[in-house]
Amino acid sequence: MQTKIVSKNFEIPHANTMEVALQNGRYSSLGKLFSHTPQEVIDIIKASNLRGKGGGGAPAGAKWQLASDYEGKKYLVVNADESEPGTFKDRQIISKDPHLLIEGIISTCYAIGSNTSYVYVRGEYEEFSDILQASIDEAYAKNFLGQSAKYPVEITVHRGAGAYICGEKSALLESLEGNRGHPRLKPSSPEPEFYFGEPTLVNNVETIASVPFIIENGAEAYTAYGTDCSSGTLLFAISGHVEKPGVYEAEFGVSMWEYIEKLGGGVKGGKKLKAVIPGGASTPILPAHLVMEAKLDYENLKSLGSALGTGGMIVLDEDASMVKVLKNLLRFYHHESCGQCTPCREGTSWVDKTLDKFIAKTATKKDLEVLKLVSKSMNGQTICVFAPAASGVIDGFLKHFEAEFLECIK
Amino acid sequence: MKIIVDNVPIECKEGERLIDVMLNNGVEIPHFCYQQDLGMDGNCRMCMVEIKGAKRPQIACNTFVCEGLEASTKSKSINAVNRSILELELLNHPVDCPICDQAGECKLQDYYMSYGLYDSHLTTPKTKKGKHIELGSGVVLDQERCVLCTRCVRFTSNITKTGELGIIGRGDSSRVAVACGHELNNPYALNVVELCPVGALTSKDFRFKQRVWFLDSAKSICHGCSRGCNIFIDYNETKYTKESIYRFRSRRNKQINKSFLCDFGRLSYKELNEKVISTPLPMEILKDLFKSEKKVAMVSPSMSLQQLQSVQIFCKNHEIELFSLPYIDESFGDDWLKTNDKSTNFAGVKELNISVNQDDFENSLENANLIINFDHTLLKEREIKDKKVIHFTTTNIKIPSEAVFAIANFAHESGTLINCDGIRQEFYTTKYKNEVPTLRELLKRRP
Repeated sequence: MQTKIVSKNFEIPHANTMEVALQNGRYSSLGKLFSHTPQEVIDIIKASNLRGKGGGGAPAGAKWQLASDYEGKKYLVVNADESEPGTFKDRQIISKDPHLLIEGIISTCYAIGSNTSYVYVRGEYEEFSDILQASIDEAYAKNFLGQSAKYPVEITVHRGAGAYICGEKSALLESLEGNRGHPRLKPSSPEPEFYFGEPTLVNNVETIASVPFIIENGAEAYTAYGTDCSSGTLLFAISGHVEKPGVYEAEFGVSMWEYIEKLGGGVKGGKKLKAVIPGGASTPILPAHLVMEAKLDYENLKSLGSALGTGGMIVLDEDASMVKVLKNLLRFYHHESCGQCTPCREGTSWVDKTLDKFIAKTATKKDLEVLKLVSKSMNGQTICVFAPAASGVIDGFLKHFEAEFLECIK
Repeated sequence: MKIIVDNVPIECKEGERLIDVMLNNGVEIPHFCYQQDLGMDGNCRMCMVEIKGAKRPQIACNTFVCEGLEASTKSKSINAVNRSILELELLNHPVDCPICDQAGECKLQDYYMSYGLYDSHLTTPKTKKGKHIELGSGVVLDQERCVLCTRCVRFTSNITKTGELGIIGRGDSSRVAVACGHELNNPYALNVVELCPVGALTSKDFRFKQRVWFLDSAKSICHGCSRGCNIFIDYNETKYTKESIYRFRSRRNKQINKSFLCDFGRLSYKELNEKVISTPLPMEILKDLFKSEKKVAMVSPSMSLQQLQSVQIFCKNHEIELFSLPYIDESFGDDWLKTNDKSTNFAGVKELNISVNQDDFENSLENANLIINFDHTLLKEREIKDKKVIHFTTTNIKIPSEAVFAIANFAHESGTLINCDGIRQEFYTTKYKNEVPTLRELLKRRP
């Protein structure tokens, strides 16, 4: 059931060292890369239908084109600020096959015409950041990077300070510029991001790590996997009440239940499934009956009222208290709201504190109304999608598990 | 180009901000973080409007007008949005209006009356933050009253570029603060009090002195230097208290001071409250004095054109040599609002061809036996021996002199000034009945 494209070398010992990496095909796509013009590379990516793998799922090729269309200095920023609860795929790439990421960075920089790249690594990923830095040093020594390389690319690793919101690309750039990590206002028409005023492409680690395969084998080899709209594979992660939590790469469009059964080893202790949070904490929860019909691709999960997000599934068994699960999630949003926009700053703390009353079973009917009301106020009225995501989470729980909340009303 | 706001067509230019068009045309649009001279930030989400064709409500401060744009600020659904945002703004607010100095000019109060009027839904404890934090420069912060619009932060980072203020903490523990061991310390610091749309930042100088609804405002010009910043003089004339001036506030002028004032100018209102004691002389003695041969007069370059003219005519009629010297203070000016020339109307002095030569003045002074000082600061402090000095003054004179005539200050005598850039501006008086005569009245009456 596994399809190993990005995770091909994950099992190989010491694949993070240059020697082993070269033996296992790393940097082999560069020959093909340089035989194309940059625009041809972008066209290949467009044809491969590669989609952003950080959660949004926006077409990568179109984003590359936007950055490429600008003249002058450009930047590539790799988003490794992986902090979505239930998501732990990027750290696998960084720690187990960092040379794949470096190879992808070289290809992407070549395509969009950039010579400078930053990898913004989540603050807590100190260990992985060190592994990546060691590999980058090796790549410099081997002249894959630096001014003597065939195509000069500089990579700087930057560790964040541990704020979830810095995974939002514009907040990430603010943080990288040395400011508070506050998301920026969104432009009214499509344009790239800007780092110190220069056009910048921001892509997730896995997106960039998918590039070498496409360059080497062509777009069709990639679209052969997955569904029509969601091409290729994703490093799905599975955690929670399962026998074998972990990261297993699979094609888009596989059955969610089959994935849980076969790769996740089924629900822990043979218990019954209650629900799955399908793609990182910020996607609305799916109750068991919907999990049975769910397919792991963007379109199917959207039709079920949720989203694929990062593909990090959190499995909950029959004994899980949905009130406590929601409290856990809301505590996270309360803690991580950047505090810039009013609805998010006040709303996340309000719903979190209100949930305390449900936990203590001292809630009233009015508190349930408050939850619904605040959730509505948080949706669609803020600069970034943090509050709308939190709102979706609340709505999902109340839609499918309202009975459990009513039980907590005295 | 025309757009339609609440079914009313409004004339505007392509690319203007919708919120500016609304504010300039008197459309009521609630907002905290947007300020015309600080620009847009987009954090408060209070200025949401409905745009025809847009999926979601949009913030008016980040919407640029284009032909045929139709916006609504009054529909039921957008008012529900405004109300929900306001509810969140007020959620952890201490609701201490009775003891808050901002009461009466507080945007939270205003918007609550327009969009709120609900009972609190809050059933959990409020978030506690810091109270009565002295930031420096006479500014006091109440973090619980703050709506985190960041106007003050943006003022110190974008306008003065001193950057003392920042936001610390995240989510609902976000709060405005100065870094440990530092303080708000710049010559424009008090602007943050005026910029604050709520009662979070108050001025030590003004707080608890007067309820703002008892205050009237007069359009005036600051007399602190030659910049001619536009101000409101806030004063009261209640039945029971002595009439007095409580503060200066900036009056927006895009060309000169935008919405800002320096602290020196802002606090210079205090001089206007001074009660000046007159020590006049009987008419006969005055007449005798004016018969003396050698007379020299000095007029303050901060007087209005009208005052200068009447002084000029008076001096001509009585054959008095007239001079005016500027108030130069090299340490005062900066590259923004403050100028080294602390006289308000020196350009006016030059326009009227009043002599400004210091050496000539000193020579004339030497030879004169009667000196008439029209409110010039220099002569108020300089003791001149063996000569008779008559003062027409807006402040008390501490040195011995022949006669002192108190005259009305600029809050009580209107006029015209020309600022350092040649801009001619009018200023107006308060509604007070003058306690002392104006200079022009006095000059018409006297010998």
